[in-house]
Amino acid sequence: MWLFILAELSVFALLILAFAVTQALKPQLFAASRQLLDTSTGLAMTLSLLSAGLLAALAQQRVRQARPGQAALLLLLALLVACGYLGLKLGEYRHLLSLGLGLEYNTFFTLYWILTGFHFLHVLLGMLILAWLAEGCRRRRYGPGNCSGFESGVLYWHMVDLVWVVLFPLVYLLG
Amino acid sequence: MLASRFLLGCWLALAVLSLATVGLAQGAVSSGAVLVLAVLKAWLITDGFMELRHGPWRWRALLLAWAGVLALVVGISLNLRG
Repeated sequence: MWLFILAELSVFALLILAFAVTQALKPQLFAASRQLLDTSTGLAMTLSLLSAGLLAALAQQRVRQARPGQAALLLLLALLVACGYLGLKLGEYRHLLSLGLGLEYNTFFTLYWILTGFHFLHVLLGMLILAWLAEGCRRRRYGPGNCSGFESGVLYWHMVDLVWVVLFPLVYLLG
Repeated sequence: MLASRFLLGCWLALAVLSLATVGLAQGAVSSGAVLVLAVLKAWLITDGFMELRHGPWRWRALLLAWAGVLALVVGISLNLRG
């Protein structure tokens, strides 16, 4: 799992570096385009992802304590909180598209859509994994002696959080 | 119980740092401070949520370096621009 996470982080690193380098080449364009993004929405998405991460980590503790029922409940809560991110992100995408700020509008938005869209797909996959883990807990598939698969799934979600804490200031705040 | 409190502490610190990140970015503070907060958040996720503080040091170093190096390069690119 760690190798997979490292591979994913490497891909994100390349995209983030591409964004940073292009920003250095076109600072005015990036500063003007960034004004069209809502910082408070970005902050709310951050809190949503981190809260889901907390709930997933707490669920992992419950599995280790042989309390899979509580773990399933915590994972369902994590999914609910993550839905907040989904709603906010889809709302932001819809708003930007209604303004004509699509993938081809300018270089900033090309990179914005690629970077945040790629991350969005990872969040979707992470939510599917959390749902799978919740179902596994409900069926009592995980326990103190059998939780490595569970830990790998939760690790994936934390990787999504890790990427976002770097991505958020770069796309929404800096410059 | 202790582990849960530790996780709650990490989450609280992450939430405060996220708010501070936005506050600093909207003020007249340099982008370097915002990037330092991003690295601190990455450290909390890596050591707290991912539990790498108890894990193999190589993986811990790699993940911490991932955020640190990216923040450094982003900071340099912002200064080159200026």
